[in-house]
Amino acid sequence: MSAPTEEKKTVVLTTSDNADLTVEREVAERSILIKNLLEDLGGDNAEAIPIPNVNEAVMKKVLEWCEHHRKDPPASQDDDSDSRKKSTDIDEWDQKFMQVDQEMLFEIILAANYLDIKALLDVGCKTVANMIKGKSPDEIRKTFNIQNDFTPEEEDQIRRENEWAEDR
Amino acid sequence: MTRSRRAQRDVSASRSDTSASTSPERGIDDDNDSIMLQANDSQSSLAPSVSPDSDEEALRRAIEERCRVSPISRLPAELMIAIFAKLSSPGDLKHCMLVSREWARNSVGLLWHRPQTGKWGAIKSVIATVRKSDSFFEYASLIKRLNLSGLANEVSDGTLAPLSGCKRVERLTLTNCTKLSDLSLTAMLQDNRSLLALDVTNLDAITDRTMFSLANNAVRLQGLNITNCKKVTDESLEAVAKSCRHLKRLKLNGCSQLTDKSIIAFARNCRYILEIDLHDCKNLEDDSITTLITEGPHLRELRLAHCWRVTDQAFLRLPLEATYDALRILDLTDCGELQDAGVQKIVQAAPRLRNLVLNKCRNITDRAVLAITRLGKNLHYIHLGHCSRITDAGVTQLVKLCNRIRYIDLACCTNLTDNSVMQLATLPKLKRIGLVKCGNITDRSILALAKPKQVGHGGPVAPSVLERVHLSYCTNLTLQGIHALLNNCPRLTHLSLTGVQAFLREDLIVFCREAPPEFNEHQRDVFCVFSGVGVSRLRNYLNADSPNRRTPIFDPDGNMFDESEEPEMILNVTAQAHGMNIEEMDEDFGEGSEMMG
Repeated sequence: MSAPTEEKKTVVLTTSDNADLTVEREVAERSILIKNLLEDLGGDNAEAIPIPNVNEAVMKKVLEWCEHHRKDPPASQDDDSDSRKKSTDIDEWDQKFMQVDQEMLFEIILAANYLDIKALLDVGCKTVANMIKGKSPDEIRKTFNIQNDFTPEEEDQIRRENEWAEDR
Repeated sequence: MTRSRRAQRDVSASRSDTSASTSPERGIDDDNDSIMLQANDSQSSLAPSVSPDSDEEALRRAIEERCRVSPISRLPAELMIAIFAKLSSPGDLKHCMLVSREWARNSVGLLWHRPQTGKWGAIKSVIATVRKSDSFFEYASLIKRLNLSGLANEVSDGTLAPLSGCKRVERLTLTNCTKLSDLSLTAMLQDNRSLLALDVTNLDAITDRTMFSLANNAVRLQGLNITNCKKVTDESLEAVAKSCRHLKRLKLNGCSQLTDKSIIAFARNCRYILEIDLHDCKNLEDDSITTLITEGPHLRELRLAHCWRVTDQAFLRLPLEATYDALRILDLTDCGELQDAGVQKIVQAAPRLRNLVLNKCRNITDRAVLAITRLGKNLHYIHLGHCSRITDAGVTQLVKLCNRIRYIDLACCTNLTDNSVMQLATLPKLKRIGLVKCGNITDRSILALAKPKQVGHGGPVAPSVLERVHLSYCTNLTLQGIHALLNNCPRLTHLSLTGVQAFLREDLIVFCREAPPEFNEHQRDVFCVFSGVGVSRLRNYLNADSPNRRTPIFDPDGNMFDESEEPEMILNVTAQAHGMNIEEMDEDFGEGSEMMG
């Protein structure tokens, strides 16, 4: 759209379940892993890039995010301080994007981590953090289907030892 | 960072089959897979010896099953920690700790990284847990930051001593815990090899013993603030200098026993010093200053306020052509011996100075100011308060060549007239101007400051960006000028007019902020400082009151500016006031901020 004269460069990604996805290079390069790979290969390579840790469904979802955020400024030092600032604010589009079942949510987080897409990992972590916020331990267990492997005595001990920790 | 990311990648890689097979698209295959696996398993169990494979297989299946039931368990510890790190409330983190053993392991480090110690109840609970011998976790070793300054003088050796088992504390902040002594400090420092920063500001009971303990243990130390620890001497600090070679930031303010000996030791041994503040180390002489500059290639900030013995020689002895490009901030407040020659050499040796404070360097003249103009666009902050010999000629040159100045203070430069201020008013980035006791200036100056600025040649006209204007004791000023200033400087958040008769009116004083508590009756009578909302209220009042009803410039952001800073600033002012003698206090009262950065 922006440069009609210049044909857009694309790359092919092969997912763990052997699906070939053709995607614009600019979009794929939101992943630092892929960006570095492409740079290492150098020039225009026609070969497909194997992404053995991510399946087609997850990869498509991740690429949807990359497409929407293709023009975001590259990660800078500012980015770093932002993530350190523990805010769990998420922009509206990302919030909608993250409205998926838990399986997909955690697969996206794993993929973002593997593919080194810091901003997506950040959104994923914030989404999960928001699911934890304000809940009791029991409500958290129910939300994520986690089994309580403490004895009542242990639970009580931890409660006492961390008595000081209260909401600010 | 890269290393941890690689580690995470390995973890997810090792589980790649799991994550692939449990992906939603392959839900049906998933079941098939597990049937297949069971078949395999029964086959292998027929073998006479139990192969290690089957154990692994069983474990793998257990993990797989758990991931199916509870997808979050797919995340490796690093990612769980990344999620927990987004929780700002200790309450939420505590709830995470109570979810399961795995969650507890991954959240306990974050919760105990910096325990809440601002209230007695909390600190008592922390101490009780740390002292327990059979606690669920080894909490003491998880504490990385310990800050008891919130309880200040309520903290005693008995409070700190039980925390001395926390040997991995990296930042220990004990500002104003004045009851603490060597007893608990040495216990705290003993065997701690992790300490990066120690702040013992105003712990005037501590002695060389604490500093020797620091030298013997804190090999990684990068920041040390021993402001007003007056018993500390050269002897222990030389030891600190020799063993804490990674020191970057040093605040030795008011350590009145120190001499060149220890400062030269720091300069020679600690090659990474970025900032050193020697405010009120009155015994220091030229040698230590020269050495700090020549030996410290990274030195960025050098503060020497009230180091009375420092003379031009400190700088004139620097090698002839050498320049020190890292040096950005130099504070020579009240280094009264300094002359024009010293300033000339400073500018030549440190051409990238951004902040230069020559407040109360009373000998300097326009010659020094002309030298300063060589700093050109690098100069952002210049303080020439009480440099009463400088004239309009110097200021005019300064404005011409250093047009990036954001902060300028010319308090008590009594020669200056409206001509200076009209030049200063053209500085496009000027945010703060101090003209206290510049008795010659009139409303002409203020009207010039109020005038919108043209950005560049033929550029757009932008409203003034002035934020803080100090005009106390400019006794010629009237309402007219200030009213224009208020209406044309939308960002104005501080306006001081102490002792200006035209403003000491009942109806205006109501918008003033409270005089500091230590002021006497006379000081209160003439006190007149508008800040934060006080400025907008004064503006609104004058606009409503004025017969021609000028529309005030409405700035929706007007209240965003440093109202929150105000209390802090007042604190600073009072702290500073303690270090000044009464006479100076009197001269500048109500304008403490004039003295501050």
